[in-house]
Amino acid sequence: MSELAWNVFSGGSVSIDLDRCVACTTKACLSACNVPNLGSALKAGADGLPALAITPERAAQGGCIECLACDLACQSDGLGALTFSLPTPEVDAYLDALRAAGNAPGRGW
Amino acid sequence: MPKLLEHRGKLLLRNAGIATPEGRVVTTAGEARSTAEALGFPVAIKAQILAGKRGLGGGIAFANDASAAEAAARRLLGTSLYGWPITELLIETKSTIRSELYVAVISDTAARAPLMLVSTSGGVEIEEAAHAGAHTTVSAAVDMRRGAPVYWCLDLVRTLPLPEATLVALAAILARLYEVYRRHDCTLAEINPLAVTEGGLIALDARIAIDDDAVFRHPELDLERSQEVGDRSATALELAAAKIDENDHRGSAHFVQIDPDGSLAKAQGKISIGFDGIGTGVSMAVMDELVPLGFLPMNFCDTSGNPTGSKLYRITKAILAQPLIEGYVFASCLSSQQLDVTARGIIKAFKEIFAPHGGAPTIPCVFSFRGAWDDVALGLFHQHGLDAHPWVRVLGRDSTERELAQTFKELHERWRAARGVANA
Repeated sequence: MSELAWNVFSGGSVSIDLDRCVACTTKACLSACNVPNLGSALKAGADGLPALAITPERAAQGGCIECLACDLACQSDGLGALTFSLPTPEVDAYLDALRAAGNAPGRGW
Repeated sequence: MPKLLEHRGKLLLRNAGIATPEGRVVTTAGEARSTAEALGFPVAIKAQILAGKRGLGGGIAFANDASAAEAAARRLLGTSLYGWPITELLIETKSTIRSELYVAVISDTAARAPLMLVSTSGGVEIEEAAHAGAHTTVSAAVDMRRGAPVYWCLDLVRTLPLPEATLVALAAILARLYEVYRRHDCTLAEINPLAVTEGGLIALDARIAIDDDAVFRHPELDLERSQEVGDRSATALELAAAKIDENDHRGSAHFVQIDPDGSLAKAQGKISIGFDGIGTGVSMAVMDELVPLGFLPMNFCDTSGNPTGSKLYRITKAILAQPLIEGYVFASCLSSQQLDVTARGIIKAFKEIFAPHGGAPTIPCVFSFRGAWDDVALGLFHQHGLDAHPWVRVLGRDSTERELAQTFKELHERWRAARGVANA
């Protein structure tokens, strides 16, 4: 499996399953990644698949502004190849503690 | 703002050269007995909680022998005072006090400078003494470029009706207290009382509060960061939410629980809801409209300053993690904040949280997007089907705070009716 991945400043990561992108006709993530006046973190590579327009180091320093545009665009108009992982360990621990104490957390969880 | 327990505050004072009574922290009655015996009698037994007026509330006892020390410790440990559980006691030698002073360095937001404050009426009832005018007080703003050298402190206190030797010693302590304030980025460094004893001036108590935004600079203090929560300790969820904002300077996600356990809403016959706002002013305005309609936000949250989508995602998860909430309200002011980014974070969180229900929120939710890129935000809610769910309403820039609250009330009534729950 070929994958494009980078870390983000807030403590998380993005990974794109490029094998799945091959069949994607929209490449919605590429047009979604557009920071006004700052350009894009993503671009089309030589093979037409998503590629980083900046270095992974720059992306992790905040070059990827974590707007989540690529994430939602891939979900709605792409093939769900992109995973934007944003861990919330402290909130998760809070929820676990609630459940362990027999208390239901917020509705919907 | 993070506050230090008395014994930790006193450690900072001692390190700065300010005398404190000899003492040790204990957690059992047996330890209290042996510690008191080692220190020598009489001793003071002091509950270590972050509340003032401990003496008036019975949180401080004195003992002249080991049995009395053990009994006092047994009486205090495991109980609570002003809602704070007592798990630690500070056992100290009891000082023979001639008189009590009050000294403090306080961040004065009006003067935009540290305010040094000295009063000849220290002790547990300083507020009452202040009202009665039964003391002499001097104060002055400290020029932070110059600091508070001893000669400046001496000039500040020279008019107080105290013996010359006491004034000199007091000036030296004030200079050191200011150093504690600066070195540890305090918003408050207070000694009350500063006891005048035969052996000199001794700090019998210490109240130290650290600036929220400077906590990261002081790993040595081992503080947990949260937003300002007033005179109580931060809740587990507040501490968790503070982590979201801790190391990411891009916009804010200030989260404080107004009614952490829902007891206030219950007492007032109101319904707890989750809340997020862009801008404190609009948040207050929306709350003012919601409360008369029977709703009490369980939390306050401000996500302004153009935060990232990821920050919105994380804080929305925290808000919706609150048990007991029967709804969620999001309101933006007419800001320049990029609302499409805000919307993406919220949408991602909702999709994930309500995934077991096909992404459909199970509680009434009203969103108000007003400001820059608000049309894009509305489009995203539509594109991802969130505005089509029966318990969701999305309002645009032509909506008012009152309409937002009224829309939520009507939606909540329908939600309750559908669940067979009577409306108030």
